[in-house]
Amino acid sequence: MSAIQGIEVPKWGLSMEEGTLSNWLIAEGDSFKAHQEICEIETSKISNVMEAPFDGVLRRIVAKPGETLPVGGLLGVVADASVPDAEIDAFIASRSQTNGAPAPAVAAAPSPAAAPPASAPKADAPAAAQASRPSESTQASVEPAGATQVPQPLLGKTDAGSVFATPHALRLANELGIDLGKVNGSGRGGRISLQDLENAIVSQGGRLATRQPVRRNAGPPRSRADDSRIPATPLARRLAVKLGVNLNDCRATGSHGRVCQADVELVHHARQENLPAPQQALVHVPDNSSFGTQPLSAMRRAIAARLQESKRNAPHYRLTVDLDLERMLSLRQEINASVPGVKVSVNDLLIKACAQALLKVPDVNVQYDEASQSIRRYADADIAVAVALPAGLITPIVRAANRKSIAEISEEMHRLATKAKAGTLKPDEFQGGTFSLSNLGMLGVRQFDAIINPPQAAILAIGAGEQRVVVHEGEIAIRNQVTVSLSCDHRVIDGALGATFLQELKRLVQAPTLMLA
Amino acid sequence: MTNDYDVLIIGGGPGGYVAAIRAAQLGLRTAVVEKQHLGGICLNWGCIPTKALLRGAEVAHTLANLEQFGFAVENPRFDIGKLVQHSRTVSAKLTSGIEYLMNKNGIEVIRGRARLIDKCMVAVTDDKTEIRLRAAHIILATGARPRALPGIEADGERIWTYFQALVPKELPKSLLVVGSGAIGMEFASLYNDLGCEVTLVELAERIMPQEDAEVAALVHKQFEKRGIRIHTSAALAAVDKGGEQLDCRLRLTNGSEQSLAVERVLLAAGIQANIEDIGLEALGVVTERGFIKTDQWCRTNVFGLYAIGDVAGAPCLAHKASHEAVICVEKLAGLEGVHPLDRDYIPGCTYSRPQVASLGLTEEQARAKGHTLKIGRFNYQANGKALAMGEAEGFVKAIFDADSGELLGAHMVGPEVTEQIQGFGIAHSLEATDESLQKVIFAHPTLSEAMHEAVLAACGQALHQ
Repeated sequence: MSAIQGIEVPKWGLSMEEGTLSNWLIAEGDSFKAHQEICEIETSKISNVMEAPFDGVLRRIVAKPGETLPVGGLLGVVADASVPDAEIDAFIASRSQTNGAPAPAVAAAPSPAAAPPASAPKADAPAAAQASRPSESTQASVEPAGATQVPQPLLGKTDAGSVFATPHALRLANELGIDLGKVNGSGRGGRISLQDLENAIVSQGGRLATRQPVRRNAGPPRSRADDSRIPATPLARRLAVKLGVNLNDCRATGSHGRVCQADVELVHHARQENLPAPQQALVHVPDNSSFGTQPLSAMRRAIAARLQESKRNAPHYRLTVDLDLERMLSLRQEINASVPGVKVSVNDLLIKACAQALLKVPDVNVQYDEASQSIRRYADADIAVAVALPAGLITPIVRAANRKSIAEISEEMHRLATKAKAGTLKPDEFQGGTFSLSNLGMLGVRQFDAIINPPQAAILAIGAGEQRVVVHEGEIAIRNQVTVSLSCDHRVIDGALGATFLQELKRLVQAPTLMLA
Repeated sequence: MTNDYDVLIIGGGPGGYVAAIRAAQLGLRTAVVEKQHLGGICLNWGCIPTKALLRGAEVAHTLANLEQFGFAVENPRFDIGKLVQHSRTVSAKLTSGIEYLMNKNGIEVIRGRARLIDKCMVAVTDDKTEIRLRAAHIILATGARPRALPGIEADGERIWTYFQALVPKELPKSLLVVGSGAIGMEFASLYNDLGCEVTLVELAERIMPQEDAEVAALVHKQFEKRGIRIHTSAALAAVDKGGEQLDCRLRLTNGSEQSLAVERVLLAAGIQANIEDIGLEALGVVTERGFIKTDQWCRTNVFGLYAIGDVAGAPCLAHKASHEAVICVEKLAGLEGVHPLDRDYIPGCTYSRPQVASLGLTEEQARAKGHTLKIGRFNYQANGKALAMGEAEGFVKAIFDADSGELLGAHMVGPEVTEQIQGFGIAHSLEATDESLQKVIFAHPTLSEAMHEAVLAACGQALHQ
């Protein structure tokens, strides 16, 4: 172990590439133990508390609250109190050289959007980027999904007086009904850490639940339980949300046994005393050049990162076909003219057709898990549909479109598109998806190629439906047609497979009654 | 095809313009189509200009009672033209305020008449041109107009609707008001205070049939005291316009007839929704008794089509329209925590003298619903502030469910009660009980102390009566 060590941005999930330091829970000069909570870090997905990887003394804080660093970026420096400051400086300097991009440089462009408050109502702008989040479990792939299973031998009740364990280990043991007396401690003086407890569970044949994002803090308790049923005055309830106070943590001294304003404020103040003083905002450097500089919004950054990754990693190829729309248009006309409560668009019908075609050619209805070198196959077609917004785009998802009627798809798409524009989509409405549609037909584009939305493996780009002169049944005819292009990830979808999908899609579009079959 | 707007609203009244502002606030591309004036009936021909005229009536009433306060004014002159001008100025000011709000929120205001021509599509015509607009969501907020009486046509000269009653060129000597809803009551009170001989005709057994019977009875008595003649259980059967005066024939429910001669007749027997010529039939929009049928989120039976305010049914009140506007827009935008409108608890105010304000169930309705009641009353005669103002006619009546303590209804008649009813509204909205209201400290001396006393009385603990 070297005398000087760095505390670095941890990698909490497959897709985690950077983290924003939101708060230090210890100050420079504080000593800490391994597994002690030392700071809070926010990613585009979660906000979590970082536990110390080892014991030590925090000599220098490198990352200030609000700074965004790549995974592995230097947050702080740990060294024995005897190590001179000059050596610490040298360590930081050497780190910023070996990092290539020096940490402070990355951190130099924090925008207000870089660290949105976790409770921002506009359900996370990094929407597009997250559009293809496979599932919670793959984020933390080191831990198997599902509930924690405690092996029989560990069950029991901890005698708190007789074991030496961290508060976290004690709390988890109580939650899971584990006797800590049966767990070996590896910490100083045989102290049992959370890690020891988790190791014990796994080594005895149990399994661990996916770790939930937790925001913990030293000091007063912080419940995470649902507090919607705790009786409280309207004022107290609102204040609690604003201050991030869980009503479970409050006394209830109001009328009728309700939590009142004073109860919430008490908890909040108790917490304030335990928090380090808020840091000063970073100085903004004015720009005198002839162009205006606009920091990327969180959504823009997400789009940029995600699509760059896709274009770089996924070997795209495209297949283009023309679809005859005549029968689909008359089906649409017939539905719309006869049912007041339904208005079906060509796009709605194409969503349905894609869903049915994906069921027929299930090898296209997949996601590619690059890290585990595996293909995830899905039974239902969750169709992500790109919706343009003034500030970017987002892909709300019509789940299990194969099981929905055309009217249901139309109603859902109408609802989701408006929610997208109002910024009220919930994460489960835009994350995931097994296939994407992008339609630029309304803007008069005849044909285009779209970039795959990873970890999906294919996307269909739809052009404008228009009258074209074509040869139809041996005659020159004017027919309504549309050109669509399928972009596929060749790593998992070969050319013939993509073509088979398009063949099936064409069959359904040109004989839409088959979609009912 | 792309949509021109996320939300397009037809009608710029208190339903339509509020819907537009809320939609724009939520980041939706929004437009309002208005054929005449932004602000609708409320700002131009209803709530606001009548209040301006009623302020004049209040001045007249004060002048008539100067002596009580030690003043004497010889022969005060009155120019009704100036009062009307005041009323129009106020309307114009507020209407331009709405223009400002539309601008500020980036809402496009399209002048013309809108007609639905397809789902999510309207045609807007002005004098010369027709444009077609597509919108993901279309909200109908076309409002309502005075209901026509069979056989009696409002000619706008001698037989009026509120449109003419708001801008009289001169004060008629006598006026027959048909209908004793809020509109009829306010104009009867107004013209009486200004010195006109007023007769009020109501088809129901009592005036103000929507209000609590005790309240209506007190207003009836007060109106008669002021010299307003009231005929209940009576209908205006015919008007003979042959003579210099209008010869009006009243038919009573018991079959007898009565006739009287007046200078002007004001038809105020309800309103009817503006559902014609907006393309409802072609799209198969379902209507019910002349109003567009909607669900709890203001949705019609047609895809992407909504209706709010008067056109979507009673009560035809501006604040109901505005409230529905917010519900409708927030719901379609996918906001969480939207609550449907509770039609039983929309406050109603009548700005006659005395004023009437109410919320929730009448005593009769509450009994019919099977509640065990706890009722408290308090008379303004025992309220210091009311006596000091010299306006102590009236009372507060609070109705609670005896078991749950829920505030079922509140009925107020008397000085400035329209400004006070919100206290009960807040209490009901926060589900306060009789007990929680008892504990509130009301400032002294205020008119609102009567509310507190009524609550205390309901619990058998009144202090000042």
